[in-house]
Amino acid sequence: MSFWDYVGSRWAQLLTDAYLHASAVVQCVLLATAIGVLLGIAVYRSPVGSTVATALTSAILTIPSFALLGLLIPLLGLGVRPTVTALVLYGLLPIVRNTIVGLAGVDRAVTDAARGIGMSRLGVLGRIELRLAWPAILAGMRVSTQMLMGIAAIAAYAKGPGLGNVIFSGLSRVGSANAVNMALAGTVGVVVLALVLDGIYVLIGRLTTSRGIRG
Amino acid sequence: MSTTFTADSGSSRADRFRLFGQPVAVLLVLAGVLFWAFTRELDDIERRNINLTSLLDHTWQHVLLTVAVAVIVVVVAVPLGVVLTRPWARAAAPVVLAVANIGQAAPSVGLLVLFFLATSATGFWVAVLPLAFYALLPVLRNTMLGLRQVDRTLIDAGRGIGMSAVGVLGRIELPLAVPYILAGLRTSLVLAVGTATLAFFVQGGGLGVLIDTGYKLGRPAILVVGAVLAAALALLVDWLGGLAEQLLGPRGLR
Repeated sequence: MSFWDYVGSRWAQLLTDAYLHASAVVQCVLLATAIGVLLGIAVYRSPVGSTVATALTSAILTIPSFALLGLLIPLLGLGVRPTVTALVLYGLLPIVRNTIVGLAGVDRAVTDAARGIGMSRLGVLGRIELRLAWPAILAGMRVSTQMLMGIAAIAAYAKGPGLGNVIFSGLSRVGSANAVNMALAGTVGVVVLALVLDGIYVLIGRLTTSRGIRG
Repeated sequence: MSTTFTADSGSSRADRFRLFGQPVAVLLVLAGVLFWAFTRELDDIERRNINLTSLLDHTWQHVLLTVAVAVIVVVVAVPLGVVLTRPWARAAAPVVLAVANIGQAAPSVGLLVLFFLATSATGFWVAVLPLAFYALLPVLRNTMLGLRQVDRTLIDAGRGIGMSAVGVLGRIELPLAVPYILAGLRTSLVLAVGTATLAFFVQGGGLGVLIDTGYKLGRPAILVVGAVLAAALALLVDWLGGLAEQLLGPRGLR
């Protein structure tokens, strides 16, 4: 069976797996963004806090994803829980790092002026600082998404959802006619999803960047 | 697509903090886990996997996988980066970078499995080659970046005092690009240690074997020891890479 015949005959199943893959990654990136941005806001004014948060999250990213996934299995069992935990942990670094860099990069004169016209501390954060830091945060989300696409494929080992299952089915059917087709469909599927999501990020960036700082 | 994996913290203070904190934390955790594993009651299967010979064997295989990947990456990516920054080959640079970027958007486990199925061979090199392809991009991109940021006037000065193009490359451009190349190599090494845990899928050995054995046979202790060893190895390799970045740059730039 040629690759295209295979894709044609399993189209519905592949589409479901692709949807589950993208949905898991997107949800975990959103969760990582919520945690990462809060973490960034909590520490960006303190040099020590920023240092510790950045160092810790980059140390987590250094740990092999398969090893972390393995460690989570005895703790959290199989399926959604270890997958989500691992994906969120790996997604944190780029977002925390970029939130801190973005918030620290806001011109003091701008925040002073906002305070001067009577805005509250929270108002300055929400209406000035976070909006100016948004392109940096979004760039962090984009890097996280690309990374998590690949890690989510490995999570199929812990019975996580998505295209990794197609790759592993190929591996376990070694020698059969469809083994290569399956591994190829899973791998190419992840690449296509990664490219599509990357395009969506460019679009979101265009639409949500404050007019004043749009390039 | 310019977004790829990097463990670069983007903060020199955090880097310094990790330079001192990381090896201490790693050694403490590693010692704790090994102590726990060796002092508890082990059953037959556990004893066969959690013993000094087995642990050293798997760790050594893992180191060999990592070193092989790193050597291939340096041997391929640095010359390729040099070629792609020469004026006569500059047109090819975006094409090669696009292919490398797509290569890295592919899941490492997919590349590994595909290469295994396509060659229908197993073992060390079947794991090393796709992993090397996967880890190629950071060194390639940083070599190109490092060579491009060299001040034009330095190159012109070198040519002006009569150095050949090759001489300028070897004695001016490459030494000035070394810090960039080392940063890329550190990222590639971390990627290599991480993806080497997947080598067991194609019978390539490494610490992934322990993780898989522990999982398949329902012996969490074996799984935990393998995973902690792999994590410790990755953090130590990253630490050595950080050390190399500090120590190996050209003296004039330090």
